[in-house]
Amino acid sequence: MKTSIVGLGQTEFSKNSGRSELRLATEAILAAMADAGLEVNDIDGLVRYTWDNTTEAAIVNALGLPSLKYYGETEFGGVNCCGAVAQASAAIEAGLASCIVFYRTLNARSGVRYGRGERILSEEDGRLINRQPEPPGDIYSAPFGLLVPGQHHALYAQSYKGQYGLSDDQFTDMLGSVAVTQRAYANNNPNALLRDKPLSMDDYRAGRVITEPLRIYDYCLETDGAMAMVIVSRERARSMGVKAVDVLSAGQYIYPGSVPMFLYAPVTHTLAPPEAGEDLFGKAGLKPSDIDVAGIYDATSMMVPLALEDFGFIGRGEAHQFLTSGGNGPTGALPVNTHGGLLSEGYFHGLNTIAEMVRQLRGESPNQVDAETAFITLRGASSMILGRA
Amino acid sequence: MTVIRPGDEYLAQPFWTHLANGTLHLSTCEDCNKAHHPPSPICPHCRSFNIGWKPASGKATLNTYAVARHAVHPLLADQVPYTITLVDLEEGVRLVSGIPNGMEVDLEIGMPLECKVVKIDDQLSLPYFLPAGAADQDQ
Repeated sequence: MKTSIVGLGQTEFSKNSGRSELRLATEAILAAMADAGLEVNDIDGLVRYTWDNTTEAAIVNALGLPSLKYYGETEFGGVNCCGAVAQASAAIEAGLASCIVFYRTLNARSGVRYGRGERILSEEDGRLINRQPEPPGDIYSAPFGLLVPGQHHALYAQSYKGQYGLSDDQFTDMLGSVAVTQRAYANNNPNALLRDKPLSMDDYRAGRVITEPLRIYDYCLETDGAMAMVIVSRERARSMGVKAVDVLSAGQYIYPGSVPMFLYAPVTHTLAPPEAGEDLFGKAGLKPSDIDVAGIYDATSMMVPLALEDFGFIGRGEAHQFLTSGGNGPTGALPVNTHGGLLSEGYFHGLNTIAEMVRQLRGESPNQVDAETAFITLRGASSMILGRA
Repeated sequence: MTVIRPGDEYLAQPFWTHLANGTLHLSTCEDCNKAHHPPSPICPHCRSFNIGWKPASGKATLNTYAVARHAVHPLLADQVPYTITLVDLEEGVRLVSGIPNGMEVDLEIGMPLECKVVKIDDQLSLPYFLPAGAADQDQ
């Protein structure tokens, strides 16, 4: 890729924004353009998720943009956080547009909640009816009570635990190391929803079980807010005098059964085949040991050990040792989710994961590490490598 | 207890009508004889459109499981905890299943399971998969 991320913008994260998703989106887009030092009218492209309640037309009309030369959508929600950047980059390299904003807006706590069954069930005559064609919570899984993404993650978690024969205590220590380490990052991050709430290992162990083997602290936070980022060509970024971060490699990867919820994937204790990582690292000309900091889409804590193994940062079955010895911490071999992650900063469908890696490479993270390269993935379905400009 | 049911337009489809008649059938290619799930108009193995329905042997192994302790809908409050499973059928397909509410079984990944079709009402029956022996238990 020959593009750069040159601006970040966001609203506050909250449990109740008190404003419409369109209003939130426009606030975030204005902030991102200001951060990039560009005029709002410079926007000539937009990318967004299909699971977003605003439309390109609504954004164009609300902001009074002169025109859009390109707009693109990527399927689902956070699955494509890096795919959206790949799409914007491809459009820029193809000359379809020159300044593309990737945005996400959702009232995911005060509005429709992804963690609740109401999203895919209707009550008719006292009965619960499902008409969802695809997971999560589709007609073949809903009758058994498999309804929301967090329950799917519990299935992968149990599969991993069984595959490597981890005891209950070992498994608890492994995921607790993710949750507790990330909460400590969040406690130092003024944007984090849980900045004022410390979490100890004892707190974690005492946490309520939501879907066994996952506890409440293994789950991300349903969050209201909006985020946006500005993508331009690397050449243009160099002429702008802002802190740009280069997209070294970005892409999408699915295989039969993998998306959206891995229910029908051949194996369930690993979610991305080696080829996904080889392709991504190959295009960036880097290897896992070259990466300084990682943003792993942690809808649940279980995504962290899976991604570390799937992308070759550690060997298969080594996550317990790596995480319980602080490998993901500030002085570890690979600091992970230094904003606190979706678990403790807020659930922003991966845009906040990307934003934190951009901040790390700009030298602006609240938990700054020495970083020239950053890796981001959502379960391998979309992934990206960023580099300091 | 509140049952979650696919809409009637889905229950009219062969997967569900076969279950309502008491047997689990799988969407199966008439040309290469391989099954697939969920049902599809085209065989993912040989890309034939010649798709039919064949009874499953009912033999499976447990791929993974999870126990829901938190009800994600108010009408499910009286059902938790309940067990969700992913099962790998002898025919090479994966199904989402579970353990019927109130039944006590010890689960271990990789264990053999047998299908038990449980009738909910005239329209809806569900394919549960249980450890050998438990499938004969009264509920």
